[in-house]
Amino acid sequence: MSHVVPLLKIEDLQVDFATHKGTVSALDGVSFELQEGEILGVVGESGCGKSVTAEAILQLLDEDSTFYDGKIMFNGENLLEYNKKKLEKLRGNDIAMIFQDPMSSLNPVMPIGKQIAESIHIHQSTSKKESIRKAVELLRLTGIPSPEQRAKEYPHELSGGMRQRVMIAMALSCQPKLLIADEPTTALDVTIQAQILELITSFQKQLNMGIILITHDFGVIANMCTKVAVMYLGQVIEETDVKTLFKRPFHPYTIGLMKSVPQIEGERVEQLPSIAGTVPSLFQIPTGCRFAPRCKYASSTCESSMPSLETVENNHRVRCWHYDEVLKGETIYAD
Amino acid sequence: MGGYIIRRLLSLIPVLLVVAVVVFLIIHITPGNPAMIILGEGATPEQIEELNQKLGLDKPLIAQFFIWLANIAQGDFGDSYFLGKPVLIAFLENAGPTLSLAVLAQLIGVTIALLFGIVAAKNQGRMKDDLISGTSLIGISIPSFLLGSFLIMIFAVQLKVLPVSGYAPLSQGIWEHLKYLILPAITLGTIQAALITRMTRSSLLDTLSENFIKTAKAKGVSERAILLKHTLRVAFLPILTVIGESFAGLITGAAVTESLFNIPGLGQLIVASINRRDYAVIQGAVLMITVVYVLMNLLVDLLYAVIDPRVRNSYQA
Amino acid sequence: MSESTKVLVNKPIDFKKTIKKNSRFFSNRLLLTGSILLVITTFIGVFASFLSPYEILEIDPKNRLAAPSNAHWFGTDNFGRDVFSRTMYGVRISLLIGVTVTLVASVIGLTVGLLASYYKLLDHIFMRICDGLFAFPSILLAIAIMSALGPKSINVIIALVLVFIPSIARIVRSAALVVKEKVFIEALQAQGASSFRILFLHIAPNILAPLIVQVTFVFAVTILTEASLSFLGAGIPAPLPSLGNMLYDGKLAIYNAWWMTVFPGLFIILIVLGLNLFGDGLRDHLDPKSKLSVKRRKRR
Repeated sequence: MSHVVPLLKIEDLQVDFATHKGTVSALDGVSFELQEGEILGVVGESGCGKSVTAEAILQLLDEDSTFYDGKIMFNGENLLEYNKKKLEKLRGNDIAMIFQDPMSSLNPVMPIGKQIAESIHIHQSTSKKESIRKAVELLRLTGIPSPEQRAKEYPHELSGGMRQRVMIAMALSCQPKLLIADEPTTALDVTIQAQILELITSFQKQLNMGIILITHDFGVIANMCTKVAVMYLGQVIEETDVKTLFKRPFHPYTIGLMKSVPQIEGERVEQLPSIAGTVPSLFQIPTGCRFAPRCKYASSTCESSMPSLETVENNHRVRCWHYDEVLKGETIYAD
Repeated sequence: MGGYIIRRLLSLIPVLLVVAVVVFLIIHITPGNPAMIILGEGATPEQIEELNQKLGLDKPLIAQFFIWLANIAQGDFGDSYFLGKPVLIAFLENAGPTLSLAVLAQLIGVTIALLFGIVAAKNQGRMKDDLISGTSLIGISIPSFLLGSFLIMIFAVQLKVLPVSGYAPLSQGIWEHLKYLILPAITLGTIQAALITRMTRSSLLDTLSENFIKTAKAKGVSERAILLKHTLRVAFLPILTVIGESFAGLITGAAVTESLFNIPGLGQLIVASINRRDYAVIQGAVLMITVVYVLMNLLVDLLYAVIDPRVRNSYQA
Repeated sequence: MSESTKVLVNKPIDFKKTIKKNSRFFSNRLLLTGSILLVITTFIGVFASFLSPYEILEIDPKNRLAAPSNAHWFGTDNFGRDVFSRTMYGVRISLLIGVTVTLVASVIGLTVGLLASYYKLLDHIFMRICDGLFAFPSILLAIAIMSALGPKSINVIIALVLVFIPSIARIVRSAALVVKEKVFIEALQAQGASSFRILFLHIAPNILAPLIVQVTFVFAVTILTEASLSFLGAGIPAPLPSLGNMLYDGKLAIYNAWWMTVFPGLFIILIVLGLNLFGDGLRDHLDPKSKLSVKRRKRR
């Protein structure tokens, strides 16, 4: 496994934003990797930096005020060293992205067929007519009925689920090797969510795409992902395959998160457990372990020095000084 | 869609009525008998009475108002006492120069504005943007007659390449016609450009921060195409509003510039009439101008529907 | 948590706190420059009498149309009056007119706008009138009112107030409509607060931000309009100097006495520019999305 070049390997990614209050560190040393065909879930609360990570890969963040450091290796090449032309060639082509709110993420005054055709036209140099024809075909593949007619319509004339299908069609039009999905189902009705996830899964199988799936929903993680990375305040604090994460999580934050999800089976609890305290603002990042202020296992080491992301078991990495004690202290989920 | 247009036109009526009332009231509040003012000090009481009757000024105010309205409904705006011709004719004769000037000025303004606005938005925060933003800010801070005087001093007096003032109608040849309009058009056009550039820049910047621009970027669309194909089309709507409103403002407000450059346009007509108390002209001309203004707004609204499909749908409802 | 019976609802941003962020104020170049210009011109306006070496009405026919010199920094006009002194007073008078018009128009416009946003019937009446007034070109409306009332300074103020009330009323009304929809208004109504209380003590403070920005621009346009009015001879009557009527005097002598036009004109530009810079800067300052003082990334 180690001599195969991973599809995506992020090494020590640092992303800073210049704001009027000073420089803010949104991501601090994020690292993970993804092989071809793997589905990596990135989970965490709002503000932990999951979307920033996603957008950083394609460098979609505001150019004037964003500072990058570290490496983003895609098939062995560092994307942070790409010039504008190479980036434009890469986007929508080798790496594609779909966003959370399809209504505001689609151009409101352009027919959807044209928007899909645009990707095809740019990257495959096909004629405009041919691009539209292919776009219609893609609409059909994503399960939209009467695609020829729909292609001429505008985003506000479609339902939320259909709009997301359009986004998916647009993203997959050039058969990318990596798909980044930033909370693709959060803005949709629950019934539609399942359909969209299924659609993404089937495409993934067909194209053997790697997928980075950003979400805050553990149910989605359980259903779709092979690997999971948990983020907190700009860092990855735990990373492992999905089964292990649910069976034997090590980091207190991960455990806290999962415990706060209501369980249908198991014993009835009086009060839903929650993690004490609130997520600190990025302007007031704690020294030492960032989770220490809210952690019941915190010791003085935790408050003074930052643990690094260590491999503790086969393919299981944790950023915690006391992970072995945590293990002993917590009840472990039955499968 | 037709139904919408009719509804809009109908809603204009109360506005125009208010305008008519305001115009009428303002003019007739003047202390002193108008006929006396017109005829001057040496007039005999019989002469004043005669003029009063002739102008219909002896009837009660309300009656005068409704008579006026009734006449307008039949297309009769009355006659100008001083010019000796129907108000409508005087209006149309003076409309030509004003229209030429306004169109020329707006063309200059819009062309400059779109160009500079796009450059400013593209280079936000950098020197080009600062320069453009700064210049357009100064541009809206200069009174038009100051800029005009300045241009006259340089081009007409010092360099002697253009005439100081005056006007030649199109019939005298296009270069003759344009020669007299260049300086006033540049004067007005510059200020227009400043106004429109600011709106162009801010509208583009607002649109650039929208989500769908991020999607376009993620698709690999080139920076140029994002700006021109995606951003401009959506950002254009508020820009169009400003273009429409400022054009209407040009037509109606060029009075000062016309006075400076001695162009026999609507502005001159109205100012002179106000000074002479030529009521018929004032009332009729101002009313007609307001109609133009209001119709222009309607036109802009309709253009919205053409450009933005979201608006189209709500009109068909 | 709540022993009190007060309803804790989400109150919109307290914009006073926003202004206290000093670093943002000083790094906002627009706001800073505009403020400096305004302070300077206000200083001139207030201390005009101390700054003027000559009497503004003092005629000196022998010295007519003299170019700028050590004796007369800005030259003399067609009556031999010192242009520098008259310009200083001109600034005072133009600013006075501007402040008066803006204050009166703001108070009336605020009331009209608030009432229109709250009472449907008043909304129809007021807004129709405002639309009608708005459809008038401001210069022409001002000229018409001036000629109806007669050439006196007070009439200039009246005319301009009438011209600018609609634009303020409109902004107030749109902003108030937005605030009216917020939950805390509903809560206040449920508590039995009187309409007057709600309108003036709760809605009004929350629309102050867009109002002040608009007021700044109205001030600027007032100065320009007064200048245009006076330039046409329909403004502040002679011999009192306003920046506008000095340009009227300068119009006739423009080819041999450029100083009569350039200096008053320059001060008009400075005042209006200061106001516009301030207004723009204020708008950026109050807008959370603005990119003020963001360090630019070094180009690779």
